Amino acid sequence: MRLVDLARNLPVVTRRTTALEAARRIAGDRLSALVVADETGRPAFVVPAVDVLGLLIPLYLREDTRLAGVLDEAAADELWSNADRRTVGELLDDDDVRVYDILTVDADATLVEVATLMAAQHTSIALLDGPEAAEEPLFITLPTVLDAALTARGMRGGQTA
Amino acid sequence: MTLQVIAGLVVFLGAYVLIATEKAPRATVALTGGALMVLLGATDEAGIFFSEHAGIDWHVIFLLLGMMMIVGILRQSGAFEFLAIWAAKRAKGRPFVVMAMLIVITAVLSAALDNVTTVLLIAPVTLLIADQLAVPVVPFLITQVMASNIGGAATLIGDPPNIIVASRANLTFVDFLVNMAPLVVLLMVVFLGLAWLLWGRKLSYDPERAARVMALNEREAIKDTRLLVTSVGVIGLVLLGFTLQGVTHLDPAVVALLGAGLLALLTRLEARKVVADVEWETLLFFAGLFVMVGGLVNLGVIEQLGKAATEAVGTNYAGAAVALLVGSAAISGIIDNIPYVATMAPLVAGLVAAGGVAAEPLWWALTIGADLGGNATAVGASANVVVLGIARRYGAPISFWEFTRYGLLVTAVTVAISVPYVLLRYF
Repeated sequence: MRLVDLARNLPVVTRRTTALEAARRIAGDRLSALVVADETGRPAFVVPAVDVLGLLIPLYLREDTRLAGVLDEAAADELWSNADRRTVGELLDDDDVRVYDILTVDADATLVEVATLMAAQHTSIALLDGPEAAEEPLFITLPTVLDAALTARGMRGGQTA
Repeated sequence: MTLQVIAGLVVFLGAYVLIATEKAPRATVALTGGALMVLLGATDEAGIFFSEHAGIDWHVIFLLLGMMMIVGILRQSGAFEFLAIWAAKRAKGRPFVVMAMLIVITAVLSAALDNVTTVLLIAPVTLLIADQLAVPVVPFLITQVMASNIGGAATLIGDPPNIIVASRANLTFVDFLVNMAPLVVLLMVVFLGLAWLLWGRKLSYDPERAARVMALNEREAIKDTRLLVTSVGVIGLVLLGFTLQGVTHLDPAVVALLGAGLLALLTRLEARKVVADVEWETLLFFAGLFVMVGGLVNLGVIEQLGKAATEAVGTNYAGAAVALLVGSAAISGIIDNIPYVATMAPLVAGLVAAGGVAAEPLWWALTIGADLGGNATAVGASANVVVLGIARRYGAPISFWEFTRYGLLVTAVTVAISVPYVLLRYF
């Protein structure tokens, strides 16, 4: 199986993308992480979706989770409405957020190579290097890698080894 | 002066500079200083572990350990969040009344708990309330840390310097309540007035935002009612145990450890959760500090300084108390008041031994000055440093000078009130 057959387009955001827009992308594509481009527009970083969620939830709630329960609906609505004031750039600049350099894999890499690199670098998205013809960057995601690996061995849900 | 004494002084002063300038972790500095004292022959294992006056003060270490364990369990109950939101609702969301309620709560909690723990626990809920009221959070955080430093002065367990003084001077929990609490109540009334003048009158009331506070459901903060009831019950017993020290003759450290053990037993929490909030680094810092000061005691430095101080003071203990109070406040504003009091305690003990009952108020002068001086600058007390860190992380930074210009004023006023209190009460 060729990696390019497993690859797909993913939304690529920038530093200036608001937390609200980032949240929409994550929700719309059911993403576990978000690809962030550098100044040249090239995919450069991967930010876990859970850290984007952190942009929407104030730090004081994250540090004292009991307080989340005391908020009523109106207060909760205001929390979400603040999402357009925060940007992805804040995550990139936050020392407490683990931002990963994008993992780049060759188009002819094997599935186990990609899986190994993802596990070693703790990242769930890899950028496919080439094919040159592709206009948009192509990515391999962790669920795709797992799906392909399990399917090839007849170990996917409902199947037996 | 022998070479050994000179070397001991160099080690001590060098460690002091490193602690004050925060060039290295304070526990590392204190332990390294202690180790150098051992290598210099200024102290040995018998002195470190078993000497009551020149070794590690186990009363202080274990009292802190016990209270850290108790607070670590209590904080999991949601009691602090409940209390703060309940108070904000009683204030009907009026910003200055909310600020005043939180000031009083912080001061009272700080009298019973460690200051750093108190401000750490009250900060997140303060952010929540300020967010709902749409008022700046910085004045709330600054007033709370100052209230914590003032309130902590009221009891034996409220501030680490008090624990050191109590242990070295054989003062009880009740002694502190009788001598310090009346002054602290007076200072808190004045501080509330200052808080209104400096911040409160500028806070505006918005009925719509106040309604947001009234809509908060504080009961949701309590996830485990049994844990709350058990924790509060055991803390009540511990405070009773402190108060009855004169009858039971149980050292506060023993009472705190018994309380922590009872609480761990009743709540059936895993051991790692019971000790999760113990600040081991702080305990090691204290241990290293005691070894360093013990080295100076063994080298005769403290005795010499004590003699010089005794000659300088003569029988003018009133003048000495004023100088000690004001001087301690000034020094504690610049350096951590814990090493300062650890160093001064044997000196004051010498003065009290020479002067008898007439010199005993010097202990209170030292305690008041060291506790109140913590408010003077942003680095005057550990709680200040912690709150500045919290504010920065929460996106509401407080600069060193912003804190210090208010801190100097509050310290000047509180010290100015404390001087006549000491003179009128004891001389």
